[in-house]
Amino acid sequence: MNYRLHTAVLLVVLCLGSFSLVAGEKLQVFSVNYPLHYFAQRIGGAHIEAHFPAPAAVDPAFWTPDIKTVGDYQRADLILLNGANYSKWVAKVSLPRLRTVDTSRGFRDQLMKGAATPTHSHGSTGEHAHQRAAFTTWLDPRLAAQQAKAIHEALSRRRPDLRQTFLDNYTKLQAELLELDKAIEQIIAKRPHQPFLASHPVYQYFIRRYNLNLQSVLWEPDADPSEADWRALQKLTSEHPARWMIWEATPKQDTVQQLRLLAVNSVVFNPCANRPEQGDYMTVMADNLLNLETAFPAFGIN
Amino acid sequence: MMESLYIAWKYLLFYRWRSATLMAAITLIAVLPLALQLLLNESERQLLSRAASTPLMLGAKGSSLDLVLNSLYFDDEVPELISMQADEAVIDTGLAAPIPIYARFQARGFPIVGTTLDYFDFRKLQVAQGRPMAMLGESVIGSAVAQQLGLAPGDSLLSSPETLFDLAGVYPLKMKVVGVLAPSHSADDQAVFVDIKSAWVVQGLLHGHQDVTQIQDPSLVMGRSDGNVVATAKLVQFTEITAANVDTFHLHGDPSIYPLTALIVLPHDAKSAALLRGRYLESPSYQIVRPEEVVDGLLQNIFRIKRVLDGVILIVASATVLVILLVFALSLRLRQREINTIFKLGCSRLTISRLIGAEIGMIVIVSSLLCTVVLTVVDAQSAEIVRRMIL
Repeated sequence: MNYRLHTAVLLVVLCLGSFSLVAGEKLQVFSVNYPLHYFAQRIGGAHIEAHFPAPAAVDPAFWTPDIKTVGDYQRADLILLNGANYSKWVAKVSLPRLRTVDTSRGFRDQLMKGAATPTHSHGSTGEHAHQRAAFTTWLDPRLAAQQAKAIHEALSRRRPDLRQTFLDNYTKLQAELLELDKAIEQIIAKRPHQPFLASHPVYQYFIRRYNLNLQSVLWEPDADPSEADWRALQKLTSEHPARWMIWEATPKQDTVQQLRLLAVNSVVFNPCANRPEQGDYMTVMADNLLNLETAFPAFGIN
Repeated sequence: MMESLYIAWKYLLFYRWRSATLMAAITLIAVLPLALQLLLNESERQLLSRAASTPLMLGAKGSSLDLVLNSLYFDDEVPELISMQADEAVIDTGLAAPIPIYARFQARGFPIVGTTLDYFDFRKLQVAQGRPMAMLGESVIGSAVAQQLGLAPGDSLLSSPETLFDLAGVYPLKMKVVGVLAPSHSADDQAVFVDIKSAWVVQGLLHGHQDVTQIQDPSLVMGRSDGNVVATAKLVQFTEITAANVDTFHLHGDPSIYPLTALIVLPHDAKSAALLRGRYLESPSYQIVRPEEVVDGLLQNIFRIKRVLDGVILIVASATVLVILLVFALSLRLRQREINTIFKLGCSRLTISRLIGAEIGMIVIVSSLLCTVVLTVVDAQSAEIVRRMIL
């Protein structure tokens, strides 16, 4: 009986294709956002082929792939999901779950609720539709390191022969992420309780990690805020006297000027959800760090 | 010798109806137990091969047979439901990978099996036409479903209501057929596969409708309070998922309580399997079974029935053999004058014995040939016969 179980397990493993990969064959790894794509590249190195099919100009969280691209994801050896309800399309398509890794599963008890949205129910006793979770988990570098760990473990399960290589690469990446975390912490420690503004409610994990006193509005960097937006901002700054607004990308010059008139400076902290035009995830984070450094001493003077 | 055979052949031809009856009786009595054994062997093979290739199965406490038959062969008898919490719990153990199964609904008489694409990998199912399901509401059908319903990729299939009188129930879902599986000579040929989320759409747990926060028609809104809009039953839900409305589909409530009929559990190794079974040993809500053991138990019952059948067949066979012997004995008595004439013509007793022996031998040989032909046909078709009539 026992040998039958062994045979069955072996069959299962073979069916799932775990050992179908001979040494030298590259794992096809598909990601749903750029940070995961970058982490996979760093950990997998030359042993994987990392794919991130979202076009450059879109926010991957709200992008929907076409059927052909869904097919590409379905054929992947490993699909890296961000979890926390990131990329709405994942809930509307069929993906092979055993080849899918929810990289935030390890800290799902630490996931945060997103901005409040209207809910609905059917009838007086029906349940409400779910509120979306906050999904930019990687903005807490310690959580990003945990996501990288999930990728390292998934790759190692697929290619146990390369476990040590993946571990070495992950350890190096983890050190860099924790170094980034420490650097941000040191910058923010200069004035930890000062009020800040964010152009978009995407910094929830960043706020929680560094205990920032930050309020978000819903402004787009490439769009002019409306009169109502300005009025709402004035009302907000009267209660929350912020002197800096964090932007996801460089805002329009007119907006920057008008903010200055309200004594609010602009600083970019790019979440880097999509592939940057230049550099990579770590260089974007290094730029973010420089921007923060500029903001904090200046803010300190004010 | 040839003369004896020639005379015997002519005799059998002359009494062709009596000879044919004897041959049929002998053939039938030999074919029945052997064919039954062949079919039982095939059903055992089919039942066990599918069960043996499924390491463990997790379901609600209750009938393990219902659980296994529903999840392996998509039997109509739906076991007690479990939820996605069970799936999460198995993942959390780190000992196994689960494949969810929700085999509860039907479409035109065929079971709708909600699962994930891993099921196709696990059962080595190949898509012969079209592609695997990709979007919500798409289905991949088994080869027998395609053949019997005349469906091909691009066609649609409606889910059936659970009961005829389910007037307040959910609307049938129009599922787009995007692929047809290659024949696997298993229960998968007779199933309609959809993503697990699509199975929840069939149940109405996951549904799409116009944005209630935007609608102006007061008859569609029961009330608005605290950022929540309460919709009335008049709010029409989409019965077909298209590219235009797929984004409106949403879940209500906690996804972890969404139902399943079973989980196929794939332990990482034998030790993990043993540990996992140990963990669920005392569970008040779940049972984890080895389908092979459950099917073995079922087969033991079948074999008990078979033993009774064997007894009946043995009695009938004995009676038939006695009747055949009687027929031969009566025949010899009726032919006494004929035998005396042959003797008087100068034939020895040995020649007469050879004549009669040749007649009997010919009857037995022809019966054996017929028996072989019938058994060959049964053997060739046994997989199909078992799949259609037993499983």
